[in-house]
Amino acid sequence: MRALAGLARRALVPGLAVLTALILGAVVIILTDFENLAQIGSDPAGALGAAVGGVFNGYGAMLTGAFGDPERIRLAFEDPNDRTIATAIRPITETLVAATPLIFVGLAVAISFRTGMFNIGGDGQLIVGALGATIVGVGLQTSGLPSLVILALAIAAAILFGGFWGFIPGFLKARTGAHEVITTIMLNYIGAQVVLFALLGPSLRAAGSSQPISKNMSAWVDVPSIISLPAIRLDYGFVASLVMAAAVSWLLFRTTKGYELRAAGFNPTAARYAGMSAGGSMMLGMALSGGLAGMGGGFLVIGATGQLTNDLSGGIGFNAIALALLAGLRPSGVVAAGLLFGALTTGGKVMGIQSGIPFDLLFFIMAMVIMFVAAPGLIRTIWRVKVAKPAPEIASVAPTAPAEPV
Amino acid sequence: MSAAVATALPHGEGLAARRALRDARIRGATLLALGVLSFYFASSAFSTPAIFLFRIYNTGQDRFEVATSVGLLWVIAGLAAALVGALQLWRGATFRWRPWLLVLLVPYVAVILGALLDGTIANLSRVLSGSFELATPLTLGALAGILSERSGMLNIALEGKMLVGACVSVVVGSVVLGATGNMFAATVAGVSAAMVVSGLLGLLLAWLGIRHRVDQIIAGTVINIGAVGITNFLFLRVLGSSPELNTPPNVAAMQLPFLSDIPVLGPLLFSLRPYVYLSIILVIVLTYLIFRTRWGLRLRASGEKPAAAGTVGINVLQIRYRALFFAGLICGLAGSYLPLATAGSFQMQMTAGKGFIALAAMIFGAWHPIGAFAAALVFGFADSAQALLSILGVQVPPQLLNSVPYIITIVVVAGVVGRVRGPASAGQPYEQG
Repeated sequence: MRALAGLARRALVPGLAVLTALILGAVVIILTDFENLAQIGSDPAGALGAAVGGVFNGYGAMLTGAFGDPERIRLAFEDPNDRTIATAIRPITETLVAATPLIFVGLAVAISFRTGMFNIGGDGQLIVGALGATIVGVGLQTSGLPSLVILALAIAAAILFGGFWGFIPGFLKARTGAHEVITTIMLNYIGAQVVLFALLGPSLRAAGSSQPISKNMSAWVDVPSIISLPAIRLDYGFVASLVMAAAVSWLLFRTTKGYELRAAGFNPTAARYAGMSAGGSMMLGMALSGGLAGMGGGFLVIGATGQLTNDLSGGIGFNAIALALLAGLRPSGVVAAGLLFGALTTGGKVMGIQSGIPFDLLFFIMAMVIMFVAAPGLIRTIWRVKVAKPAPEIASVAPTAPAEPV
Repeated sequence: MSAAVATALPHGEGLAARRALRDARIRGATLLALGVLSFYFASSAFSTPAIFLFRIYNTGQDRFEVATSVGLLWVIAGLAAALVGALQLWRGATFRWRPWLLVLLVPYVAVILGALLDGTIANLSRVLSGSFELATPLTLGALAGILSERSGMLNIALEGKMLVGACVSVVVGSVVLGATGNMFAATVAGVSAAMVVSGLLGLLLAWLGIRHRVDQIIAGTVINIGAVGITNFLFLRVLGSSPELNTPPNVAAMQLPFLSDIPVLGPLLFSLRPYVYLSIILVIVLTYLIFRTRWGLRLRASGEKPAAAGTVGINVLQIRYRALFFAGLICGLAGSYLPLATAGSFQMQMTAGKGFIALAAMIFGAWHPIGAFAAALVFGFADSAQALLSILGVQVPPQLLNSVPYIITIVVVAGVVGRVRGPASAGQPYEQG
C-alpha cells in the first residue's frame, strides 16, 4: 500500500503534466478551427461547441487508434476468427510497436542525461544504426545464413554504428569541450545526409525505385513475431527493449561503472577528485547511449518496417527526450512513458487520418510535457496541488557547470 | 572544457600559460607546414587555368575578370599561410591569430574553388553577393545569441524562435497584403509581428530559466521542439488549405543611392536586400552598445560575475529578461528573412539548423558582433559556393555539399581552430538577494 502511495505521488507531476499538455493541445486545435470559429459572430455557442466537438473527435480517434475500437473488440468476441481478432487487437499491438523504438531511444537519452550529457542526437543515432543494420541485412541477402544469424549480425552492426555516432559528441565534449547540444544536432543533419547518400547509391536502393528506399529485407531476415496473425507487426524487438531497460537499470544502479557514470553526471569535479575519469564517463555514456538508439533503429528497420527510408525516425529522438524526462530518467519509468508515448504516436496518426488534425501537434504536446515536468512549479500553480521537489537529476540535467557556454 | 579544468586544477596559472604557448607553437608549425605543402601542390597545377568572372546579369555592363592559374593561387595561398605561421611562431601566445585565419581563408577558398572548377569559367558575382545574403539570418541569429549569453543566459532556442518568426511573418504578412495590397505595409506588419512573437518566446525562455530555474538547455529544447510542432501543425492544418495565408510579401533587393553605381563593387555589395544592410547596422550598433556604454558594461557583468554585479546594485535578473527579449526580437527578424527574402513562402522546418549554425558563428566570433559577422560570412560563402558547384555540375555528391555547413559547425564548436572563452556565468542560475 505504501509502495502504491509512493508510486502515485511520483506519478502525480508527470500525470498532470501530460494532462495539462493535452489540454493545451486542445486549445490549439480549437483556436485553429477556422471553419467553425468563423461562425462565432452569428452563433457563438454553436461555433464553440462544434470546435470543442472537433477536439473530442480528434482525441477520441486518438484513443481508439491507440487502444482499439470497442465495436471491433465486441465483434471479435462474438465471432472469433483470425481476421476479427487481428482487427480488434491491431491498435494495441501497433501501440507496442511504436513504443519499442521510443523505449530504446528513451533509455539512450536517460543514460546520457545521467552522465550529464544532453544527448539530443537520438534521431541521428537511430537512423545511422538503422543504416548499419540495413548494410549488413542487404549485404547478407545471398549468404544463405539463417534469418536469426543475420538478425544478430545486423543488430550488432546497428549498435556499433549508433554507438560510433554517439561516441563522436562524447569524445568532442571530453577532449575539446564542444557542447553536445550543438554537435548532436549537427550530427542529426549529417546522419540524415549520410543515409540519403547511402540509399541513393545502387547497392542498397530498392530495385526499380528512384526514391531513397532500401531493398525490403523481410524475405530473408526478420525479427520473429510474438503473435502470428495477419497484419500484426508486434515482434520480439519489444521484448528486447524491455530486456535493455532491465540491463540499463542494472548497469546504472548496480555496477561500479554505472556509479561512475552517474557520479560524472551529478558532479564531475567531485568525481574527478575521487579519481574517476569524467571524460571517460562522458565518452562511455554517449557511446552506450548511441548504441541503444542505434539498436532501436536496427530493430525498427529489420522488424517493423523491413526496409530503410530516410524519414525512418519521424521525430522519435525529440519525443524520447520528453519521455525520458517524464520518466524521471528511471529505466522502469522509461518503459511506462514509452508505452504512453507509443499510444500517443499511434493514436495521433489515426487522429490525423480520421479527423484531419495533423500528427505534428504531438510535438507541441511533447514540448509542453517537457516544460511542465521541468518546471513543476507551473503544475503546482495550475492545479493547486502540493508537489514534491523535482528529482535533483531533472532539476540540473546538465550539471556539468558549463564553464564554457554553448 | 572539463579536460582543461582537470589539468588546470592542481597547477593553476602556470600550466595554463604553458598550454597556451604549446598551442601557439602547434598552430604556427601547422600553418608553416600548410604553406610548404601548398608550394608542393602548386608545382603541378600551373597548367590549370583559373578564371573567375564577375559579371552582373541584370545590368550587363559590369564585367571584371580574374584570369590566373591554380598553381599561382596555390603559391599565393602558401605564402600567406607561411607568413601567418611565422608570425605566430615569432609572437607566441600573445599573437591575435583569429582575424588572420579569416584572411587566410580567402586565398585557400579561391584555390579550392579553382581546383574544383578545373578550368571551367565561373561567374562569381552571384556567389559573393549570395554570401552576404545567406549570411544575414546567421548574423542576426548570432547577434541574438551574443546578447543572451553576454547577459548570462544560454540560448539554444534561436532555432525555434527563428522558425516561429518565419511562420508568423508569413501569416501576418499575407493577411495584411491580402487586405491592403500594400507590399511595404505588409512587410512591416509581418516582420514586426514576427519580432514581437519571438520576443515573447524570449521572455518565456527567461521566465522558465529564472523564475522556475529550469535548466536553460531544457528550456531552450522546449521552445525548439514546440516550435517545430506548432509550425508544422499550422502549416498542415491551416496554410495547406488556405494558400492565401502563405503568400507573403516579398522583400526585394534595394539599390543604395550612389554606392550602387560603383563599378563591380556596386552591384555586388550595394544592391542587396534591406535585411543585409540592417544586419550590418545592427552589428555596428550592438558592438558600440555592448562595449562602449554603461548598459553594455552591466550586461557583460551579469554574464561574467553576476554576484559582483548584484553587489554593486545592478538588477541582474532584469538585465537578463531584457536581453532575452531583445534577442527574441532579433531572432524574429532573422526568421522573417527566410520566407520573405528567399523562399517566398513558409515551409515546414525551413530553418534547417540555421539557429544552431548561428550559435557556431557566435562562438567562432568569440561572442563579439563583428567576429560573429565575419564567421557568418564564412558560412554564407560555403552555402553560396555550394549552389555554384552544384549548378556547374562539379562531381561532388550533393549530400556531402549539404553537410558542409554542419561539419564546419562541429569543427568550430570543437575549437579545432583554437578555443575561445565565453561569458563565465552563462547557463548558471542566479539567485538575486
